[in-house]
Amino acid sequence: MDDSNPLHWSFDYNHGAQNPDFAQILIKLLDEPEVKSAADSVSVDTEDFKKHVYQILPNFWRGYKRRDNQEGVLSIGTVIVERQKRNDDIWNYNVQYQNTTSGEDLRFQFHCQNECYRPLYGSWRVDAQNSCNDRYSTLKWDGRLTSDAEILICINGTEITAGTANNSLPLTCNWALFDVIPALAERLKELGDNVDIALLDDLEQLRPKNKLGFLDSVHSPIPLDGYYLYGTGVLPSYWWVDANGNIIIVSSTFETLVLKEKMGDTS
Amino acid sequence: MNKRPNILFINTDQHSWDALSAYGNPYLHTPNIDLLHRNGTSFKKSYCTDPVCAAARSSWATGLYTSETGVPFNGGQLHTKIPDIGQILRAGGYRVFHCGKWHVPGRNVRESFEVLYYGGHDIGAGGAAYYDSASTHAVADFLMNYDGNEPFYLQIGYVDPHDVCEYLHNHEEKRIPNPVEQGILTEDELPPLPENFDYDERETVLHRVCRRVDDALIHARILKAVRDWDELQWRYFRWNYYRFIEKVDAEIGRVLSMLRQTSFYDNTLILFSADHGEACGSHQMFQKFSLYEENVRVPFIMACLGENVSVKKDQFDETHFVSGVDVFPTICDYAGIDPPEDVQGVSLRPLAEGEDVAWQEYAYIESNYWGRAIVTDQYKYVTEYKPKTVEDFVPPGPDSEQLGLAQLFDKHNDPWETENLVNAPEYQEIIKTCRERLFAQESQLNRQQIIHRSPKRIISNWRKRLREHWEHGKIK
Repeated sequence: MDDSNPLHWSFDYNHGAQNPDFAQILIKLLDEPEVKSAADSVSVDTEDFKKHVYQILPNFWRGYKRRDNQEGVLSIGTVIVERQKRNDDIWNYNVQYQNTTSGEDLRFQFHCQNECYRPLYGSWRVDAQNSCNDRYSTLKWDGRLTSDAEILICINGTEITAGTANNSLPLTCNWALFDVIPALAERLKELGDNVDIALLDDLEQLRPKNKLGFLDSVHSPIPLDGYYLYGTGVLPSYWWVDANGNIIIVSSTFETLVLKEKMGDTS
Repeated sequence: MNKRPNILFINTDQHSWDALSAYGNPYLHTPNIDLLHRNGTSFKKSYCTDPVCAAARSSWATGLYTSETGVPFNGGQLHTKIPDIGQILRAGGYRVFHCGKWHVPGRNVRESFEVLYYGGHDIGAGGAAYYDSASTHAVADFLMNYDGNEPFYLQIGYVDPHDVCEYLHNHEEKRIPNPVEQGILTEDELPPLPENFDYDERETVLHRVCRRVDDALIHARILKAVRDWDELQWRYFRWNYYRFIEKVDAEIGRVLSMLRQTSFYDNTLILFSADHGEACGSHQMFQKFSLYEENVRVPFIMACLGENVSVKKDQFDETHFVSGVDVFPTICDYAGIDPPEDVQGVSLRPLAEGEDVAWQEYAYIESNYWGRAIVTDQYKYVTEYKPKTVEDFVPPGPDSEQLGLAQLFDKHNDPWETENLVNAPEYQEIIKTCRERLFAQESQLNRQQIIHRSPKRIISNWRKRLREHWEHGKIK
């Protein structure tokens, strides 16, 4: 057991037969000017447009490397989380999740109210493409929340239910957690609260009850506060936030998202 | 309209029999697999053919035991002359589709099936986090668009809860605090240690060399890590395993929701099973490979969401032994196609229809090339063959001279398999009967020589280590 590694256990995957070296690549990514400048940007509360770009690093490299892997390249894909606040105080989200190991390219379009829990608002749409040369090449689905909190998904004209949300808990999309967690950070860390939240995972799968709470702080490789997400049907994930409310690292069982660059309104 | 049913075979990976809320497990919530349980016949005495992925899957694909298929462990190669279920059903007029995990080395899934989805990087052993959701998308696309004239057979191989393997690998070189220590979960939220956490160390040599000794043949690094675990870490491992199952249950729920909205739902037979189980702390073990119940007993459900497939609903069969070799002939039976003559399994259709039929009184299981088990209503007999002096690469048996150590458990009085009765004088007749059954079963098998270099190398390496223990008495 190697305790000399400076990385927190929740995103330390520099073990086994990892080659390229996960830890070194992650540390190098965090040292990029784009990541440093994100930490220098103004507070999240004042921004009306934000775009964070993340690299997807596989936690377990052997067996999951992409087909066209280049020597020394660990990344297996990209996540782009873009959101813009409309005049009517609604946030429009455009998220792209592109993973060369799964072969899927997912585009999520959804809307949230301008509250710290980012409750889902109106309808949403997902475009999925598969680049694997199999029979499945594309899939689109639309979704909406009825007045009875039932989640309806429509695929190719056929409507199916994805469950009924609990009205007592705020319901948001997992991709809005990039704003929810920074917004709740003070409450979770300073006050030591845990909060319950319902998630519509990838805008298709209801995770009715999840718990968000403060995990830990680290000072190396850069100062970050960590938050956990636990729940029924959910594998734990860990979200690491810098002092200015940018999610820098998200680590779950199989992959770690690391901020590559941030763009947005810094006025 | 097709009279022959569509057939949907949904399988999970590393899913123990008792890890379903339908069977009374209070530590997880599986509403969707439970729905299948209510809409069909599920079996209590359901056993895999071999408690490891590729081996068990080679049995699903062929209806043969793993000493016959050429895949008696991960890394084997399916013998080329053995037909698979895709080839047989296609020849019988079905459109045959595959989606997700296949893991039958030696057989190109794309040649036997039309593939809906098989990953950007072909799906190997694990990676549910990458593949399972995409598999569901592929199935959604298929169900919403299939307009073929032929009935379809679709097998969906979900990877979870196999990702628990990576949960374990994650502990190999770092200490992860337990969640109570971190303040994330309370002790009350964690499942308890299993009843058989403490175990009888009088195990077979194969079992010990593979999984117990410091330089174990399988996952020695994980073994080293878990030896440092406290009770809460073992319990947290179990907590995580159940979350992986809930995750895959939700995927299955989406498939069932979609199926229900199609015209197929009333005429689709649904089979649900798993390739093998997960030790999950029982006998202080993790993962698979052993012949204990947690590893070898798996869910097996035959269901229909509608009324047009002959399957008795809400029937819980606690009597009959069923096996992974039965999947192939069962599918053939419903499809109205004769299976190949040398298939070992039998169709479960009579049981699913509630018929009273004569049935085999035991299950036969193989493991790690040399391991064997016979399970009867009351007893489980586990044994092993010693490595041959000159290895001919033909899976061993039946051979009383070559039998090694054994374990006998009285399942009625010791359902957790905690006391090995093999040396107790009063059980010698039971052991004799079990051995006779073992040899009778093995004499019916068409064990074929392993011919590929890679699996032969695995056998040679393992054999060398096992012989060291037998010849030099490293294990008494």
